[in-house]
Amino acid sequence: LKMAAEPTREWSDEQLKSDDLPKKDIIKFLQDNAAHSFLNEHKLLGNIKNVAKTAKKEQLMIAYNELFESKRFKGSDPVEEATQQVKAVKIEEKAKEVKAEVVDEGPPKYTKSVLKKGDKTNFPKKGETVSCWYTGTLEDGTVFDTNIPAAARKKKQAKPLSFKVGMGKVIRGWDEALLTMSKGEMARLEIEPEWAYGKKGLPESKIPPNAKLIFEVELVSVD
Amino acid sequence: MALEQFSDVVQRCQGLPDDSYTSEDHNIFTVAGRSCIEKGDSVQVLSIVLDEKNQDIVRCMGWNLLPPLIQILIKKEDKNLSQCLAIFNHLLERCQPKELLIGLLEQLEQDDPDTVAESLHLLLNPLQKVLLRLGSRKASSLGMTLSSVLDQVAKLPLPYTKEQEEDDVFSLCRCCTNLITFIRPFVQEVKQNLQNSEELSEGKRMGGQNMDELRTELLKFCMKTLGHPLLEVQLKDPDTLVESPLRTFSTEILNTLSAIGEPLPSLVYQPLLKRKQVPGFLEEEVRYPKESLASLAHLVFVHHLAADTFPSVFSPVFCLRCNMEHICLLLSRTKETRIQKGLELYEKCLVRVEDGSLPADLLEIKTFLTVPQNLVKVMTICSRHDLRTRGLKVFQMSIDKFNTEAKHTFFQYMLKTSKHSGVEGYIIKNIKNQIDTALQPGNSNTWFEGVHLLPLLRKVLSLPDGPETDLLEYLDRVMESLNLLRYLVIRDKVTENQTGIWTELYKIEDSFLKPLRVGLNMSRAHYERELHNTMETKKSKAKEESVLSVSVGDETLPNVTSESQIQALHSALHTFDMIESVLVRIEELIEVRDNL
Repeated sequence: LKMAAEPTREWSDEQLKSDDLPKKDIIKFLQDNAAHSFLNEHKLLGNIKNVAKTAKKEQLMIAYNELFESKRFKGSDPVEEATQQVKAVKIEEKAKEVKAEVVDEGPPKYTKSVLKKGDKTNFPKKGETVSCWYTGTLEDGTVFDTNIPAAARKKKQAKPLSFKVGMGKVIRGWDEALLTMSKGEMARLEIEPEWAYGKKGLPESKIPPNAKLIFEVELVSVD
Repeated sequence: MALEQFSDVVQRCQGLPDDSYTSEDHNIFTVAGRSCIEKGDSVQVLSIVLDEKNQDIVRCMGWNLLPPLIQILIKKEDKNLSQCLAIFNHLLERCQPKELLIGLLEQLEQDDPDTVAESLHLLLNPLQKVLLRLGSRKASSLGMTLSSVLDQVAKLPLPYTKEQEEDDVFSLCRCCTNLITFIRPFVQEVKQNLQNSEELSEGKRMGGQNMDELRTELLKFCMKTLGHPLLEVQLKDPDTLVESPLRTFSTEILNTLSAIGEPLPSLVYQPLLKRKQVPGFLEEEVRYPKESLASLAHLVFVHHLAADTFPSVFSPVFCLRCNMEHICLLLSRTKETRIQKGLELYEKCLVRVEDGSLPADLLEIKTFLTVPQNLVKVMTICSRHDLRTRGLKVFQMSIDKFNTEAKHTFFQYMLKTSKHSGVEGYIIKNIKNQIDTALQPGNSNTWFEGVHLLPLLRKVLSLPDGPETDLLEYLDRVMESLNLLRYLVIRDKVTENQTGIWTELYKIEDSFLKPLRVGLNMSRAHYERELHNTMETKKSKAKEESVLSVSVGDETLPNVTSESQIQALHSALHTFDMIESVLVRIEELIEVRDNL
């Protein structure tokens, strides 16, 4: 996806802070120009009115500045963007790996908040082996799984979970999210049941049906 | 007499270096010593053996006294039991471990189940003590011991019901519990070593080769137990049996594997995940026997043992894919315990997958084709009725999980390969259901209507041997084909022809309906003649000597009486009537169209 000329920076910090500049305008600018994952991280996705209710001016100012600093404009995402103009897309993927039948791509069924930035250079590609530390909780806070041993001393002996990413070996939320993470990044993922264990859940692992899963994942290495 | 000899030889050897004992000394010590114990002079033997001045000869030759001692200890009735026990314990501490080991293992070998159980119960603890005395050289001795122990365990009858497990009449459960206690210190040693070596550095391992050997022996042991007894027994769930020694044993084996550095996910997913080639002295096959891995998968996925050590992030499809290898193995066996576990594992994996979600490219994986073939064998020839029924249920479930394209491919494959009329009939019924679903508003797909349906229909609406097809043998298939055709001509309006059946019909008439008509007429004529002949024969009451007789087991079956023969023939004719009635109905429905 090649983008046109980079958007120009209109507002200075003073202007951003000022009460004359409504939050809606800043949000609109960001939504029009920033990459999807950028908006996601900064919690700027969705109806402008709603975002305006939850986002503070300072936040928007920070986001605005970061956008120009990181240059994460639309089209700069390593991950394909689904914009509002795209209707239901039939994925014709003749991939060798096994993927569940996808007819309607729709918006991603997970959100990611970066807790600790990665090196932003080493992003895993499909088929590469990644290693992660993780903790999984339900919405009510119950921890259903983790590979981080309780005693710090034991962490040396424990191993991070390794697997080939993007191949359908793990729940979809993980496959999708990890492809957007870089080495060293720690993120909080909130995955809708459709991209986790769906209607069935995993009763023996304390995951009820239709459960939204929350993971804190640290991408340790990419092979 | 024996006591004097014993006492003499011991005294003579006091103070002498042990390489100067003669072979005669050895002989007298052994023969006389054993005799004393057998005769009941244990008190004296004990005091001789405990005497400080005699420790050299005791250390050198004492182990020879083990056989009679152990015999007495197993029987437990002797009045000198406590003295024998005291001698025994003393010897365990003083004699050479390697020699003690030989002596103990020799006594482990028993034949009848009761003695097997008692000797195991008695000797596991002493064996442990002795092995621990071997220090860093213990690995191969441990291996030998574990191998002998498991050979003995294999002689014990297995409990099957909950009551049998509770009663534990043959002490198998007790043995398993004892085994866990037995291996505990060795497992701990390996575990500690793994922890230490991680803390030191990546590659360096303390204890080097010895530790690897120890680890390998424990791995071998766990793998063996997964084969026997664990693959044979039916574990009871906590609701059925709160305290289950066998379930505890299974859990401990799984925990042991984790502790010695064999994480369970790797073992279960081994067929698919790339395993590093581990340098060692065991090949992959021996190291990870396929049946043991299948047993392991069953314990984890069906009984949820050690579930908390299993990551809950793997996708259900991946889980199914990996387990197909194990399922395939289990279902390919003839032993019903294996088949049952295969069915249970398959069911558990399928249940986690959403209906209609498995894609067609899974069918390019060999196991996804061999498993259904194995299932067909179970459904048709397994001698246990409950397994046949369950097999069918799982078969249908597996179909339901495929998406429409995959179902289409699967049905074609099964029609081609199952070679069983009942199975073919069942598949054809499924095809009908899929067409029915596709014709409902909103469910349209290209696989069960339109372009792709016709090739499938052509395979269904045909007679395997043309007009000469044995209609009785192929009854299930023929009836389902006719039902399908009848359904299509009723459901799919001529004016709509969504399925394409109406444009195909003239071909189907030629390749299916006309030959079927001919076949029906021929069969009916044949059987009517047979019936007539049989009734004539019955009337004339000629007692014919049959040319052949049939026997099952040792019993010769009675010859078919005329009555039963007549009944069978009537039944065949009735079947032809049934086929004909559907055929006629179809012809009527087609005529209506022709007359439109």
